[in-house]
Amino acid sequence: MGEVITVTSGKGGVGKSTLSANLSVGLAELGKRVVVIDFDIGLRNLDMILGLENRIVYDVVDVMEGRCNLSQALINDKRASNLYFLPASQTSDKNILDKEKVKTLIDTLKKDFDFIILDSPAGIESGFEHSIFLADRALIVTTPDVSAVRDADRVIGIIDAKSEKAKAGQEVQKHVVVNRVKPGMVASGQMLSVEDVLSILALPLIGVIPDDEKIITSTNEGEPIYYDKKSLAAEAYRRISKRVLGEEVTFLDLSEKKGFFKRLFG
Amino acid sequence: MTLFERIFGKKEASANVARDRLKLMLAHERADCAVPYLDDLKKDLLKVIQKYTTVKDVTIKSEKNQDIDLLEVEIQLR
Repeated sequence: MGEVITVTSGKGGVGKSTLSANLSVGLAELGKRVVVIDFDIGLRNLDMILGLENRIVYDVVDVMEGRCNLSQALINDKRASNLYFLPASQTSDKNILDKEKVKTLIDTLKKDFDFIILDSPAGIESGFEHSIFLADRALIVTTPDVSAVRDADRVIGIIDAKSEKAKAGQEVQKHVVVNRVKPGMVASGQMLSVEDVLSILALPLIGVIPDDEKIITSTNEGEPIYYDKKSLAAEAYRRISKRVLGEEVTFLDLSEKKGFFKRLFG
Repeated sequence: MTLFERIFGKKEASANVARDRLKLMLAHERADCAVPYLDDLKKDLLKVIQKYTTVKDVTIKSEKNQDIDLLEVEIQLR
């Protein structure tokens, strides 16, 4: 039976889809069968990050409404043969998802895949509720700024209330991913540190991702940064993927190497 | 940072300010959010009570006191 991992956040634009894309590629590269579903109904974007936008014929709502077979809608990523993608629908009716139909779909996918990654929309509306309802595990993404951390705290507070697992008396595993860390700013006390964020959110850490301009170019090109062997962010995603598989991996050392001037004056 | 501050010492590191503001804010917000099912509970309670008597209002307060989580339900009859 596959494991359902929901990637979520309170605030938008903190890197949920980028994490969903790279975690999916990572798990697939590590030999797992993975399907990633864009749950941001009406505002699809995971397709562009994965570079699969030109191959979309059917979407997740088509499958649930029976307009096509599941196998017709699933898009196999040619770079990672274990990875399948199910795009969001572009309908403007964001309440189109039906709880029972979502459950039927996820239960079907669980039989065929090791991991089902759900890329949740930002906010706490119905799309969020659907994506958290069946989660075995939730990854909460935040950046080290006050508004993102505050909204993350709110989302963490309602995950259990919206989850089927929690209603059955079990617990949804929750982990924090701190994205876009600028080590130099943390060192000079101008940015919340990872420790600060964790002490506030009181959840275990599963990943720290440094701010990396290459993320933007990789999104431009539709090629997840995971494939860039030299990028530090890619290494961070690689380690998150391994931790999801239960491996103990050390966290990246992001302390800045001091330059000549800093060593003199610093 | 102004030129003055740059020359004559720094003001407090902004990360510390952020941490303190967040902690204060969240202490406040968590009290409201501790019981996310509050609204639904209130609706259901009202339904049940109305089966037996008329109610004017139901107020539910959640409180955290050291190790005890309390839910205070006050039912105002007519």
